[in-house]
Amino acid sequence: MRPVYLLGVGAHPWGKWPEKTQVALALHAMGAALKDAALDWKDLQGLVAASSRFEGGMGWGLHANEAVQAVAERGIACINVGGACAAGAIAFHTAHMMVASGQYDVMAAMGAERMPKGFIPRPPGSADDISDSDYLRWVTMGATNPAYWALETRRRMHDFGTSAETLAAASVLMRRNAAHNPNARFRTASTVGEVLASPVVSDPLHLLEICAVSDGAAAVILGTEAQARRAGGPMIQVAASAIATGTFGDPAARIPTVSATPRFGVPHSSEVVSAVRRGWEIAGIGPGDIDLIEIADNTAWHILAWPEFFGFHAPGESDRRLADGEFEIGGSLPINPSGGFLSFGEATTAQALMQVCELGWQLRGQAGGRQVPDARIAMSAVLGLGANGGSVVLKL
Amino acid sequence: MTPSAVPVVEGLFEVEAGVPRLNGSRCVGCAAVYFPASSNCRNPECHDPHVAPALISGRGELYSYTVQNYRPPPLFQMEPWAPYAIGLVDLADGLRVMAMLSVPVEDIQIGMTVRLAARTLYNTNESGEVTTHVFVADIGRGAVS
Repeated sequence: MRPVYLLGVGAHPWGKWPEKTQVALALHAMGAALKDAALDWKDLQGLVAASSRFEGGMGWGLHANEAVQAVAERGIACINVGGACAAGAIAFHTAHMMVASGQYDVMAAMGAERMPKGFIPRPPGSADDISDSDYLRWVTMGATNPAYWALETRRRMHDFGTSAETLAAASVLMRRNAAHNPNARFRTASTVGEVLASPVVSDPLHLLEICAVSDGAAAVILGTEAQARRAGGPMIQVAASAIATGTFGDPAARIPTVSATPRFGVPHSSEVVSAVRRGWEIAGIGPGDIDLIEIADNTAWHILAWPEFFGFHAPGESDRRLADGEFEIGGSLPINPSGGFLSFGEATTAQALMQVCELGWQLRGQAGGRQVPDARIAMSAVLGLGANGGSVVLKL
Repeated sequence: MTPSAVPVVEGLFEVEAGVPRLNGSRCVGCAAVYFPASSNCRNPECHDPHVAPALISGRGELYSYTVQNYRPPPLFQMEPWAPYAIGLVDLADGLRVMAMLSVPVEDIQIGMTVRLAARTLYNTNESGEVTTHVFVADIGRGAVS
């Protein structure tokens, strides 16, 4: 395997864009990423799409093929991968492996999503019977996604004494970071009081502690060392790209299941923890080497729980570290300088690629008011329905 | 609940002497319990993975809970609708299972003992009462759900 470098990143801002098609969002992000890499569509040898769960042509969602057919039919390789909210990480992983293998010199990975309004409904295609957990969770108890996260949050409050104010403060931190990010949807500063005054959706989680759903698109261009030198920018190497699935015995209340078989010693959110630890192993680094992380903060609970699951510090310590400012830009472990899902709203399949875009901007020193000082090693972590986990480590 | 009541999903549970038990499965090799029933054992450490149908009787400890204050998408039917709790319960056989929690919110406590019961979600002209499984406070045998 040969080293792979980040050549360019680009995004369409997150928001609600009813007048734009999914392909238009994707092409916007691709155009920005190619421009960033000083490349053109004709330079691309392949395109991997993180396929949407919600719309897109030809029955398989987004649709590298549709994007290519819209701009440049030159016979390049097109790959479409699934993985729900982790699809962007799996698309990145695929593009990375294609360059690392030696067969492709310039690859792109992209994700674009237009989300349905409100609670994310059950995707089509499964039987309406007892064999399908996603059917059971709806008809037997109406368990929305926030209900699952609320169960985890309530238990954390019981185990560690996490307060409502601490959860709200995690949400406030995300907004504070997003104020400096033109791609974020929610950029207005918030206060603990405002978060706690927002409606309780699934007790104990408030509306402003749960990520909304948004439309958006992100793209990443990867290539060889020679390509990176040609592009002339800082040499940002993919130190690791890892994907994983769940482990038997994981205690998580995993969407959309209605039961778990917890076993001692198996990590919570094992699909993500396995990807993160594999990424560290590949990169030859540990948690102490990470200058910033972008994590999938579907809720304020994730901001507190995930760094503990990954092993950055002991379970229960996040509350104090948040209060001490350690998760802020300039702290010892900046979490989501982008503003995270809480400030973007989730555009599921595109989200993991937006995380990689942010890692790229941070390592290049292009993150403006949200810049993490002297960032040299940055990692992402994402979880997708179906027990998909992904993590990317970039280094300057 | 009347004798003619039907579960919201066919085969969800069996009722015996007024007490529902969930239709799941158990691995003959490693005793892992699955709900809904799994056609295979998912335990990679299991050396004799084959599963058999098993009725899961529910008496356990409340691990966590939430109260849903907003009406879920229409696949979930409940009439009349009102905010309700969902519980996550550790059963004695190692299964952690989610279900509606029919306990007054002010009485819910993590660690409390709960047991399975059935409750009406809604009524239809064709099938009468449509029920689901719920956890209720276990305050001794014969308690009213």
